[in-house]
Amino acid sequence: MNIEEYIASGILELYVLDELPATERAEVEQMCEVHKEIRLELSLIENTMGTLALHTAVMPPPALKEKIKTQISASAPKAIEMPTVAPERPFNFAVAASVSVAILASALAFYFYSQWQSTQGQLEVLIAQNQEVADNYQFVNKRLQGLESDLDILSSPDYARIAMNGTENSPQSLATVYWNSHTAEVYLKIQNLKSLSEQQQYQLWAIVDGVPVDMGVFDTSTDLLQMKSVSAAAAFAVTIEPKGGSENPSLETMQVVGTTEV
Amino acid sequence: MQIQEMELVRLLRRKDEKGFEYLYTNYAGALYGVVSRIVIDRDIADELLQDAFLKIYNKIDSFDASKGKLFTWMLNLTRNLAIDKLRSKEMSQRRKSDNVGDSVYKLDRESTPSQEDHIGVRELLNQLDENQKQVMELVYFGGFTQAEAADELQLPLGTVKTRVRSALIYFRKTLDVR
Repeated sequence: MNIEEYIASGILELYVLDELPATERAEVEQMCEVHKEIRLELSLIENTMGTLALHTAVMPPPALKEKIKTQISASAPKAIEMPTVAPERPFNFAVAASVSVAILASALAFYFYSQWQSTQGQLEVLIAQNQEVADNYQFVNKRLQGLESDLDILSSPDYARIAMNGTENSPQSLATVYWNSHTAEVYLKIQNLKSLSEQQQYQLWAIVDGVPVDMGVFDTSTDLLQMKSVSAAAAFAVTIEPKGGSENPSLETMQVVGTTEV
Repeated sequence: MQIQEMELVRLLRRKDEKGFEYLYTNYAGALYGVVSRIVIDRDIADELLQDAFLKIYNKIDSFDASKGKLFTWMLNLTRNLAIDKLRSKEMSQRRKSDNVGDSVYKLDRESTPSQEDHIGVRELLNQLDENQKQVMELVYFGGFTQAEAADELQLPLGTVKTRVRSALIYFRKTLDVR
């Protein structure tokens, strides 16, 4: 991985947010020592986080300041005077020997400890990688399950397929309603609808006995959308409404329409 | 009064009162913003700010300037305290991600800005595209780790990471961070 890719991976943001496991932290710190670009980038990320925190500051209640001040001065540890004069003793070979043994044992302990640490580190990296693979798998699997159940509906003979073609407003638009008149379930698949501003949403209508009935609002999506149920409808249509939908359709904004009679 | 970060660290280590005054005046608002967006409840936020200050004082000797800035260290320490609180038993019932958005913004209406150039969180986030906004609401302001946010939004962690990064790059430009 080159430096740009390393920076672009987002690992430095995780470092600054203190969300990395110890081994990866150490890796970032090491990279930092070697590469000036990474040092600069880290400093920029830190400054951005800091600036954001200052921009979104919230004043604490005024009384809190004194309270905290008192608490801090109460908890401040008192310095303890240590005696500095060590009593003199004659040289003792037994003590010297035991000190050497202790030093040797410590050195060995340290050696094994660092070996263990590095194995531990490698294990953590593997666990993290494994987790990432598992996450991705789960994500794909969920998506697949969604698509499978969509496909069941699209291919079911119980669902009538009602193509809604573009109106004069938008001849290119196209959407399809899948309607099961026995269970009253309605699904919507968008083939082509233009994207809307933040303040607007699409709304689906069913025409029942000549009256438009709200079937729910939706945003452009590639998924199959479940809409409200209706057991009898002569036609379906989609209009553009203010976000949240309207009680009555704004007919002049109608984008697509299709009748259920074949 | 402008104190260099290293000077501030030195004052804090000596438990000098000047250090406290400077720390409180310049950072209490930012830290309070962090905790109150995460825990919402005012009393708990007050308690957490006290805990954060105590911890800053007790741990200042372990602060290592070679690993990052003092402000980052304080922000993380504070954020972690708030997240731990949120995960604790007494509060775990109350954490529902579907109201994270509300809580993130709630303070905007109530709080007195402590900075002249204070921008509401909502205003800031509204500058982002929908994807970045969703991720930043959780990660930066809602007290989610990126892994938790990925889980919550059912996105791969890599996607969350890149969205956080692109949002921060956007802020870096608009807020003119150097």
